[in-house]
Amino acid sequence: MTNAIESLRGHLLSEEDWMGVETLCRACDLSLEVMAELADLGVLAPRGRSPREWQVPATVLPRMRIVARLMHDLGVNVSGAALAVELLETQHRLERRLRELERYLHSGSALK
Amino acid sequence: MMNGSCQAVSRMEYRDYYQALGVERSATADEVKKAYRRLAHKYHPDISKEANAEEKFKEVQEAYEVLKDPEKRAAYDQLGSEWKQGQSFRPPPDWASGFEFRGAPGAGAGSGPAQGPGARRGAYQFEFDGGGRGFSEFFSSLFGGGAGSPFSEAGARRGGRDHHARLDIGLEEAYAGASRMLELKRPQVKPDGHVELATHTVRVSIPAGVTDGQLIRLAGQGEPAPDGGTAGDLYLEVHVMPHVLYQLDGRDVTLTLPVAPWEAALGATVTTPTLGGSVELKIPAGSQTGSRLRLRGRGLPGQPPGDQYVSLKVVVPPADSPAARALYEQMSRELAFDPRAGLPR
Repeated sequence: MTNAIESLRGHLLSEEDWMGVETLCRACDLSLEVMAELADLGVLAPRGRSPREWQVPATVLPRMRIVARLMHDLGVNVSGAALAVELLETQHRLERRLRELERYLHSGSALK
Repeated sequence: MMNGSCQAVSRMEYRDYYQALGVERSATADEVKKAYRRLAHKYHPDISKEANAEEKFKEVQEAYEVLKDPEKRAAYDQLGSEWKQGQSFRPPPDWASGFEFRGAPGAGAGSGPAQGPGARRGAYQFEFDGGGRGFSEFFSSLFGGGAGSPFSEAGARRGGRDHHARLDIGLEEAYAGASRMLELKRPQVKPDGHVELATHTVRVSIPAGVTDGQLIRLAGQGEPAPDGGTAGDLYLEVHVMPHVLYQLDGRDVTLTLPVAPWEAALGATVTTPTLGGSVELKIPAGSQTGSRLRLRGRGLPGQPPGDQYVSLKVVVPPADSPAARALYEQMSRELAFDPRAGLPR
């Protein structure tokens, strides 16, 4: 008997992809109320009239999952998690820039 | 395992939850909570710089899941204090008599790394799950699947949960596309009514042009719904690993290209690596360190494709021979060049 391996081709989520807020809630394990609060804080920029009709860019999912983890795991409230995720993103940007500059400074010897 | 040969029987190890949280067996609920909070802040994978933070956090989270719950803790304590961390373990035959735990056995379905033929072992890893699932076999054998997060209320859910996994790929794979073998674990109800984790391996295609942090959604490949409802989705978060030559920014890549002073001063055509193969790059006369040249469309593929930026770095040859020294001395004499002309005197 052969065990055929199933091949899957997933959908690559890009800036053009939008998802319903309920899909986002399910993917992050966050409630609609928390999403509304995050939208009030500017962490989430949905389009649509009422929260239940909101559509959000699919690319926000990793960011919202960090928010969810900080809330679930550390007991941080919504505004604390929103602030933390923005600071973490700033930190990551600066660390990345630092790595680029370090690589640049050492690139002459590294490529010899 | 998955190719029909044989299946290794894993050895279950005892976990010392008190040791994981660094508290005495007599610790109060408040002491347990404080220890968890301290360690969670230290090892939370989103904020920690500690080595193995994710692994440590899962240990801490699992320990807290048990020790915060009086009933689970009492049951765990019933095993006795003679066990040592890492000791081979099997639950006693009368385990859990008199206790009733929330959460269905085996409900902690997750995804694990595949090790079948063609699988890139160690090329990806699965994220910790904020929902407290993905706990150890030791935990599952005692308490069934994981329960909710330490701070969240478990809510009713009609469909299956979404699963999330991290997928590490190389820059060349992001450029050309790749595939990965994933082993998905699903709870399956046996004829006798017990639930067990069944595994199946799938090959997932990673399209060319995927960028760092981008998500691949595999609809219906998450947790099956308990009552035949809609299964959850599996989200793969792609991480493009750092490359020795290129830095990635969206679909654009940057290469730092060392050039000789005369190439920068006089202009030159030099062979330059790109992700799609080497090209001849024309360096304009009068270039300096930091000058950036663009190779349009030579970044990651996409609509539109990214560009490759070439950042020049002038490398000064050493004056390590009489001839080299003579050339530098000649330049010093004959060139009216003051690199500090713009600085105040």
